[in-house]
Amino acid sequence: MKEHNTPSTEETQNPYWRSLEQWRQDPEFQELVQKEFMTSPLQSEDGQDGWARREFLKLMGASIAMASFGCVRRAEQKIIPYAKKPAEIIHGRNNHYASSYVDGSEGFGIVVTTKDGRPIKIEGNPAHPCNQGGMSARAHSHVLELYDPDRLTAPQHLLQNQKRTNYESVNAKWEDLDKDVIEQLKKGSVAILTQTQMSPSTKALLQEFASAFGATITYWDALSAESIAQGQELSYGKNTIPQYRFHNAQYILSVDCDFLGTWLTPVEFNRQYALGRKPGPNMSKHVAFESLMSLTGSNADERFRIRPSQQAKLMMGLLHELIVVQKKSKYAGDNAVAEMLKSSAGVAQELGLSADVLPRIAKEIWEKRGQSLVVAGSLAAHSENAVGVQVLANFLNSVLENDGKTVDYGQNAPNGYKGSYKNLANLQKDLEAGKIKTLILHQVNPVYALPSNSGFAEAMGKTEMVISTADRIDETSRYADYIAVDHNVLENWGDLETHSGAYSIQQPTIQPLYNTRGFQDSMMTWMKGAGKGSARTKAANNFHDFVKDYWKTEIYAKNRGHELAKGSFEDFWVELLQNGVMNTNKSENSTSPARSFNTSALKAVKPITAPGYELALYATVGLRDGTLANVPWLQEFPDPVAKICWDNYACMSPKDAQKEKLKEGSRIQLKANGQTLDVPVHIQPGQADGVIGLAIGYGRKAAGHVGNNVGVKAVELAVWKDGVLSGTGSAAEIKATGKREALAGTQGHNSMEGRQIVVEETLAQYTKKPGSTIHRHKIFSMWTPHQYTKNKWGMSIDLNTCTGCSACVIACQSENNVPTVGKKYVERGREMHWIRIDRYYIGNPENPDTVHQPVTCMHCDNAPCETVCPVAATTHSDEGTNDMIYNRCVGTRYCSNNCPYKVRRFNWFDYTEFKTPTQLALNPDVTIRNRGVMEKCTFCIHRIRNVKAIHKVEGKPLRDGDIQVACQQSCPTKAITFGDLNDPNSAVLKVFNAENSYALLEELNTKPAVQYRTKIRNVAALEGRPAVHEEHHDQQHGKHKEGGHS
Amino acid sequence: MINRAPLVLGNKSYKDISDDICELVEKTPGPRFFAGFLSANALFAIYLLAQGAIVFTGMGLMGISHPVGWGTDIITFVFWIGIGHAGTLISAVLFLFRQKWRMSIARTAEAMTVFAVMTAGLFPILHTGRPWLAYWLLPYPNQRGPLWVNFRSPLVWDVFAVSTYATVSMVFWYIGMVPDLATIRDRAKNIWRKRIYGALSLGWRGSARDWNHYEMLYMLLAGLSTPLVLSVHSIVSFDFAVGLLPGWHTTIFPPYFVAGAIFSGFGMVVTLMCIIRELVPSFKNYITMDHMEAMNKIIMATGMMVGYAYASEFFVAWYSGVKYEQFVFLNRAFGPYAWSYWIMVFCNVVFPQLFWFKKIRRHIPTMFVISIFVNIGMWFERYVITVTSLHRDFLPANWGVFEMTIFDFGALFGSFGMFFTLFLLYLRVLPAISIAEVKTIVNVGKESGHGSH
Repeated sequence: MKEHNTPSTEETQNPYWRSLEQWRQDPEFQELVQKEFMTSPLQSEDGQDGWARREFLKLMGASIAMASFGCVRRAEQKIIPYAKKPAEIIHGRNNHYASSYVDGSEGFGIVVTTKDGRPIKIEGNPAHPCNQGGMSARAHSHVLELYDPDRLTAPQHLLQNQKRTNYESVNAKWEDLDKDVIEQLKKGSVAILTQTQMSPSTKALLQEFASAFGATITYWDALSAESIAQGQELSYGKNTIPQYRFHNAQYILSVDCDFLGTWLTPVEFNRQYALGRKPGPNMSKHVAFESLMSLTGSNADERFRIRPSQQAKLMMGLLHELIVVQKKSKYAGDNAVAEMLKSSAGVAQELGLSADVLPRIAKEIWEKRGQSLVVAGSLAAHSENAVGVQVLANFLNSVLENDGKTVDYGQNAPNGYKGSYKNLANLQKDLEAGKIKTLILHQVNPVYALPSNSGFAEAMGKTEMVISTADRIDETSRYADYIAVDHNVLENWGDLETHSGAYSIQQPTIQPLYNTRGFQDSMMTWMKGAGKGSARTKAANNFHDFVKDYWKTEIYAKNRGHELAKGSFEDFWVELLQNGVMNTNKSENSTSPARSFNTSALKAVKPITAPGYELALYATVGLRDGTLANVPWLQEFPDPVAKICWDNYACMSPKDAQKEKLKEGSRIQLKANGQTLDVPVHIQPGQADGVIGLAIGYGRKAAGHVGNNVGVKAVELAVWKDGVLSGTGSAAEIKATGKREALAGTQGHNSMEGRQIVVEETLAQYTKKPGSTIHRHKIFSMWTPHQYTKNKWGMSIDLNTCTGCSACVIACQSENNVPTVGKKYVERGREMHWIRIDRYYIGNPENPDTVHQPVTCMHCDNAPCETVCPVAATTHSDEGTNDMIYNRCVGTRYCSNNCPYKVRRFNWFDYTEFKTPTQLALNPDVTIRNRGVMEKCTFCIHRIRNVKAIHKVEGKPLRDGDIQVACQQSCPTKAITFGDLNDPNSAVLKVFNAENSYALLEELNTKPAVQYRTKIRNVAALEGRPAVHEEHHDQQHGKHKEGGHS
Repeated sequence: MINRAPLVLGNKSYKDISDDICELVEKTPGPRFFAGFLSANALFAIYLLAQGAIVFTGMGLMGISHPVGWGTDIITFVFWIGIGHAGTLISAVLFLFRQKWRMSIARTAEAMTVFAVMTAGLFPILHTGRPWLAYWLLPYPNQRGPLWVNFRSPLVWDVFAVSTYATVSMVFWYIGMVPDLATIRDRAKNIWRKRIYGALSLGWRGSARDWNHYEMLYMLLAGLSTPLVLSVHSIVSFDFAVGLLPGWHTTIFPPYFVAGAIFSGFGMVVTLMCIIRELVPSFKNYITMDHMEAMNKIIMATGMMVGYAYASEFFVAWYSGVKYEQFVFLNRAFGPYAWSYWIMVFCNVVFPQLFWFKKIRRHIPTMFVISIFVNIGMWFERYVITVTSLHRDFLPANWGVFEMTIFDFGALFGSFGMFFTLFLLYLRVLPAISIAEVKTIVNVGKESGHGSH
């Protein structure tokens, strides 16, 4: 699809006019022009010639409508038949376009589903080596960002005063903006502040732009991984981010590292992690040391609690045990190392670990040397000792001979996270010194990401002009003079190289909704306007041409050996657009020789101690750095562990809360580094004592209607000094305010109460006889069961591979038009998610084991909901699904009461009013549900119907895997299998028949079409099962819904 | 031969009886009545506002949520349906058993039934998400296939049970009133009054033929109503018992519900009779202390039946060995809603025990308070059954709470406004005691000779 500029009103003042209406600038004509672009984004490439004909058709339609007015009942609006449609579009059929998407520094190969020319859903591209079809909740949410009603619709000129405190803005014209900007750029001293760019062509363009105007480019990521890069530099001499390979690791040691949730590229890591968790002799063992209860820790086989200040101590202790005590590895005789580790001899006691823990872990991990992996430091752990912790992790990997094996430092190095806070600090210094005349901000929001007292906003005031490309007047762009509104990713051309050699293309899937312009196009316009730029830029009409030429001369030319690139470039280009991906990478399993570790790097480790409470800032899986805060799906996305949404909160351990006499939802004054925030308390089982966790990404002031003032801005508690933003590890004080409020929790209770809900077994038990821990019930029925003569749909969920990442929740929300209800109603338990992930704690609330269980409609053969509906609005299909007939439902809610799984959701209010243009994100295949109607998971029945219909028309037999449901499709770990149970060769039947497969509450004889496979833990024995009755536990915490009110 | 205590006090002549009973219909009521009527109207207005807002905006205004999908509306529906039972029992069952003491209270008890069923009947309609489509619960020929109702659903059985009950009760009540309406017609001086009551009395002339037909019909209707006393609340209990939810899914529910219904119904009758005795002092001769005592005895007996049901539920939960079942009952008595459970136990089982004392059985203020407690207790019984079973069921992740909102309270208290508005209107326009029947149990003529020996 080609870039097609929206004709501006100025265009019609041309001496060249195409119709009289255009010449007159008829308002009716203007309206038609706009409508055209709303409904028919796929302008043909020969759009120039198509204009007059299209207008004629429209006016014909309009005149017919008007001529018939008054005598027949016809639509009053003007309609035109879709007579000349683009070839690939069939009304009502989905079109899929391969594309790319970057979330911070996490890249995805995506497939965008469009319907009649508007993107309605983003799926993972199975061909992409990084996510391989998997998605994150955030990547799914991006489609709603495109339709965000708070987006700017035109470039803005902000009427700044001298102090840049006037945020009023007026719509600008691109011509005027360009004129001003070009004049300004010609003065030189230009600085560009942007996040890491993983697009090869954008990077090339940026370089070109920089040399054209003598600009400096500052890369900075709000969620930075610079400590990893710095640690690598100290340890091995090269500033790089290695590629971690969890699938090759049989022993994973994570130290405050949420690699399944927020660290580096979690979707990729989820996939790898699940590969390594296949039960068998090579199943990985995962040991986590954590201060907060992260998603990663909740999946660990063994989990220990440490404070952030103890991260280094723990690793030193482990190294001491390995090298000095057990005399393992080549460093065993190294006196210098022994000297440095000497102080860590008695660290286990200090950490509160029993004496056998470190020796045992050291022994186990040494046995798996070369096949183990030590990772440390979550993204938001900008603690003082962040680099030291990375050095220690590197040293451990070197000691354990993992370097080059599970730590890939060269071959498939990720391209993300090149930015650093050091860069930002340097830029700020330059700004303050008045060295910068023009500042260009692209995809960054430093005023929000830094504490208010950072001085960055003031520093921006010292420039002559600030240009932002933000899509809204956010915290930073309100200080700008011009906002050259960037396209949304889904509206723009581009490319992506997530790891060196893993290329993918980014295609626009809709004409720009508004009068926006891609940042790259802006750069090209400005360069051309100033008479600068390379031949490529000068030859290109727009960024599409630039990308294409870049690929032709660079990527295609250099990879002629790749099977895609064997033919002509045009063939290559077409194929690339179809596939979306060109992977020139080596296999994920190739090894390289180990690097030599520079032991003097260990001096970077600072001995820090923190008496009293320690602050731990962290990023949440849903909001991360807060850039997508205005997407309601993500605000209503329950945290995978805490199960709370619409707020951030101070996480405290049960013991601390008891000590401070705080309850769930008690408001406290949290003070650190001289700043105080008023936050509610969440009592988090498994959190380390003496640690107070607070999520960043909340407390936005200029995100939009949804994201503004949700929670507090946690970064205020951090210190921005010397290029380091350190918050984690700071001493914190708390003061109870005596107030209490409800937290919007989606889970009512945290213990399984000894019921058979999630069944676990140890690896040894599984190996001996799978499923031996499942209590099977003797069930008989008086009735003949349903007969399914055609298909019988079934789903199997592997609790062992499910990590609880919750991507499926948003996938389902996007696919099925599931509404959000807001904080107030989530507190009342009225969230609408069709698939939810139940999270249970097992054992001691101080440090429980955790299990995650996705729950959809079970599509029971003997469905309790079906019998009780008085109007037969929910019925059983002959393919085994339990269908909901919205039109027929009168809303007695009896079905929900009678559903033992409580998967049904009721439309308490009218949720069908959409703020324009969010309705464009709706999937027209799925009905919008009326007020007063019950709804629930349908097994994506529209997808089943669609695929079956297509196969019938084409006369092809249905094969296993042709039908994928939305949750299954987005699962990065492929924990969900769906298919036909009547097909003897289907994958789902195989796993249904697995010995460790069981149905939830099977003693009720509901005969669910969804079954689970057991959670397998790589530990010697499961302690504390069956779960003890934890009534006291429940009253103390976890009663988000039950006790959260004041 | 020992004389039975007279059923009507004050040596009433036939004329006295007609005068006493018709007085209420024929005279302009006093300020006390208006005060009561206006308060009832105010409450009724609250009801209309609350339900209007809910119909207009959505069920979300009420406290129900996920997982507690049924709340105040269903609780109050069962409550009012239960109230109705005493009326049918008194007017039909006691009639068949030739219990003459029923005669002076049967009319009002039956009126209470009718109004209670009317009040109750609105709740299942208004509790649906789309009440404007509630007629889909009726099986009627239609052009959608035809699409029938789901005959397996207890809610459909409910529709039949409640509508049958409402129809039969109303017809029974009205037929019983026909001779009295004719009396009012005959006494009327105003032409409009004559015409209206004339139409209502269906041309009653008081001939032997009329009486013959009337009594036959009345007995048939009594016979028809009697099984309804058992069936209606049994079927209402199926709404719960047929579900698979622990705490609902029990076979004891039908008899337990019927006993509870009669219990609550008599509680309400006692409440109303206390009020009537207070509002209309002349009725004290007809609704005597003996009546009150008899009803209090029934309250105590049925209260103990209900208590037995409570105990038996616990036993069965333990005996079943089903841990979900056991959990629900432990949770009822000791969980977050324990307060409601213990309110229920004290109001329904403990307080009625005071009726072992004759003094209390015959002491109006005390019995009034106890009858109110019975009403409260029986509302909470339905609250306990509905809410505590739903709020913590099979999967702990779903557990939640039910908190009533201002709209719940509006619907609950407002429904009393609706009931009392109807009831007080009834007192003014229809004969509140059966004139014709009461005349058969006074001793005029029959026993005068006997007494003057």
